[in-house]
This record gives sequence, C-alpha cells and structure tokens, in this order.
Amino acid sequence: MRWLKEVFLNFKRSDFMSLVSVGTIALAILALGGYYLINQTLNYIITKVEQKVEVVVFLHDGFDPQKAQQMVSDAKQIDGVDDVMFVSKADAYNNFIKDPDMHDIMKSFDGNPLPDSITVKLRDYTKETLAGVVKFFNAREGVEDIQYGGAEIENLIKIVSAIKLIVGIAGIIFAVAALLVVSNIIRLTVYARRQDIYIFRMIGASESFIRVPFIIEGIIHGFLGGFIGWGLLYTIVNVLINEIRKQTGMDFSGFYLFTPDYFNVRFMLSSIAAGSGLGLFGALFSQGRFFK
Amino acid sequence: MIKFNHVYKIYEKDIKALDDLSFSVEKGEFVFLTGPSGAGKTTVFNLLYREDIPDMGTILVENSDIAHLARSRVPYYRRRIGFVFQDFKLLFDRSIFDNIALPLVLTSTAPEFIYKTVNDAIKRIGLEGREDVDPWHLSGGEKQKVALARAVILNPPFIMADEPTGNLDEENAWQIMTMLDELNRAGTTVMVASHNRDIVTRMGKRVIRLERGKAVE
Repeated sequence: MRWLKEVFLNFKRSDFMSLVSVGTIALAILALGGYYLINQTLNYIITKVEQKVEVVVFLHDGFDPQKAQQMVSDAKQIDGVDDVMFVSKADAYNNFIKDPDMHDIMKSFDGNPLPDSITVKLRDYTKETLAGVVKFFNAREGVEDIQYGGAEIENLIKIVSAIKLIVGIAGIIFAVAALLVVSNIIRLTVYARRQDIYIFRMIGASESFIRVPFIIEGIIHGFLGGFIGWGLLYTIVNVLINEIRKQTGMDFSGFYLFTPDYFNVRFMLSSIAAGSGLGLFGALFSQGRFFK
Repeated sequence: MIKFNHVYKIYEKDIKALDDLSFSVEKGEFVFLTGPSGAGKTTVFNLLYREDIPDMGTILVENSDIAHLARSRVPYYRRRIGFVFQDFKLLFDRSIFDNIALPLVLTSTAPEFIYKTVNDAIKRIGLEGREDVDPWHLSGGEKQKVALARAVILNPPFIMADEPTGNLDEENAWQIMTMLDELNRAGTTVMVASHNRDIVTRMGKRVIRLERGKAVE
C-alpha cells in the first residue's frame, strides 16, 4: 500500500513524463510485435516455398524402366529425401493434357514428346540436401537433365533473411531506445525528487523503501505501454487488411497470423510482459547512478 | 552519549574541516554548537548523520563507533536520532499528518497507532484541525513545529537541530527553543547548532564553540 501511494505521487508529479514513457514503450512493443508478425509471416512463406521444392530428373528416351525403378529405390535412401516417384512418359502426358491449354499443345506433336522422369520431394530443404540429390543423379547412367528451382529459392531465402535482419535490427533499436527513454524519464523523476530522497534518508528510510516505488513505477509504465502497443498492433493489422481488401480485393483475413484468434490473450500477455520487462530494466538502469 | 575523539576531516588538500576535534555530550544534556561559518558545525552534523565518516579519529554514539556501521544499519541508526533543519525539510506534496507520520510508516507501525500518535503530536504543536493541510499553507514557525514533531515522533534519545531558528522570527524561535527544552527536560539529549547569540545566552546551556575545526569551550 505504502509503495503504491508513493508510485501514485510520482505519477501525479510527473504526469507528462509518465505519458512519454508509456508512449515510448507502446511504440517499442508495436515495433517488436510488428517484427514478430513479419518474422512469422516470412518464416511461413519460406516453409511453404521449401515444401514445394522438388527435383525433377528427366531420363533418356528408352531408358530401361527396371534401372529407373532401381534408381528410385536408391534415391529414397538419400538423407533429407521425403519421397521419390517414377513418372512414366505416359503418366506425364496424361497429366499434361488435363490442362486444356496444354492439351492443344500436346496434340500438335506427333506422339508423346515427354520423357520418363523421376520426381524427388525433399523432407527438409537445405542447400546440402539439394546438392546431395543432384550429385546422386548426375552420377547415374540414363539421366538427361536435372531441374530444380535452387537458385530462385536461394535468392528468395537471401531476400527474406535480409528483410528479417533489417526488421530485427529496427526492433532491437526500438527496444534499446525505449529502455533508454524509460530509464532517463525515471532518472529525471528521481532527480526531481532528490530532496525528498534526502529527507527519507535522514529520517531513516531503507534503500528499498526509497527505490522500490521507482521500480514499481517503471513496471506500471511498461505494463500500460505493453497493453497499448498490443492494441495498436491489432488495430494497424486490421486496418491494413481492410485497406488491402478494398484496394486489391485480396483477403488476408483468413491467414492465421492475421486472425483475431492470433491476437489472443497469450499474445496480449506476452506484449504486456515484454513492456513490463522494458519498464523494469529501464527503472533498474536509472537507479545505478543516483542511488550510489 | 556522544564522544568525538581526535576527529579529523579533510575535504581538500590542506583544508581541514575538523582538526583534532574532541568533545563529548552526556546523556540528557542540552548543548549548543556555535562558531562562525566554516568553523565545522555542518561537518560535525554530517558526521553525526553518518552522511560522512571521519578521516581520522572516532565518533562514538551510545558507545558505538558510527564510522564502522554497516551501510544497511545506517537507516536504523538514523531512526534513533531526531533531525531538525533550518529549512524544515518537509515533503510539500503531503499533508501535515503524512509528514509527521513518515518515520512511523518507515518502521511499519500499525495504522491505528499511527493515527493516534500523530494526532496527539499535531495537538501538541497547536495545529489541530489542520491535519490535511499541505505545508505550503503554514507559516515558518508552524513548518518548524511540524518538522520538530516529525523528528520526535519515534521518541529518539537524541535530537540534532541545525540552525532550527534560522528562518524564524523571535517569537517562533522561542517557541521552538522552548519545545526543545521541554524535550530535554523529559530526558532527550539535544544538540543545537546556532548563530543566534541571544538565544544561546538566554537558554543558559553548555556551549561548544568551534573555530577552524577545533573546539573552544
């Protein structure tokens, strides 16, 4: 109770500075939450793209089907390979002509121009797995060509990594800035109350009696900032989804990261916990110099 | 009660704030500490507050060498001393009641006891009915009475007053000195730093005069 009274007095005395502190933490949580959402979205995209990566091995026309089946069995033993399927030229043709456009193109050829092929699906996409599969088939007899989207995927991963790095650095800068602002605001509060602190000391107040209210104040700033930051993020995501829908007709509201369920109590509590952590550390940093 | 034993305090090279200062104050005594500015009165008080420690010599308070008090014990030591300052050192965003109650709050005293004790103290200093008023609205004399009430609320055995009448008119100054005298008669040891020769003379108490960091009784 006593500490809460002191905290209330601090708030009363430095209402504007308290607002700045809460606002800064809210912005930091907004930035960190935004970083988290962007990071999750990018990871989701990469995973989806990686799941679609497959290596298609085209075989020489007339290659012995038994040898091809043996190649399939051997390829299944490669680390990181999920599935290997032999696609005969007849099956490939039948698949192609299901598409009306391809149907017309195929009909323009005499007979079936497609070769037998082997499709390899990867369990975990890595450069090494891909290289292992390519090396395996390159060394085999009867292989005419190997196709995979390796270069495109590597480029995509590089771009995504760069975006993640930039967003991550921005998030860290915001967090550090928030920490410094909170720390300095509480330091100013402590400075403004230095006479009171002196009086407290003279009449026998313990260090905890003097310090704890400032720490609680920092945590309360963080708590409020965390909650407001979460609310801002939720609002901004919803406004963006609505605007994108209006402007382009694309509806992202079904994407799991942007559903109301994702901004649930857990996300809110995490934001509040992160904000409170910022407030706590800000308050602790502010105490080092003044309380020596 | 208090014993300064060959105490030296040197703040800067060759500037001795206290120079082999020795004196003692017995339990239940009322002592004035006088002397010109720079004589070392503030240093004596700073050392007794345990704001600072001597460079040489010992300071015994109730037979304990306060220079060797652990940092964590200093607040407990200060609770046994009532401090009164020239500029009152009140908390101006709290009521008179809250100012006087503060030392009791520090010691986690029961609220009912705080309520009764503080209200009794407010009656004694003649501010009954103004418990919720902020110190801003008080005269200098009333502020010093509040400060004195706060200083004695824990019944300390020792009161230190640094120029307690420095900002007061004659009438209020005498009221404060009378209150300190009453506390002394009730057994509290009192040490007052003062420039006011008239008060020092009329009170007729023991005087320790400081000059250039030395005691000249």
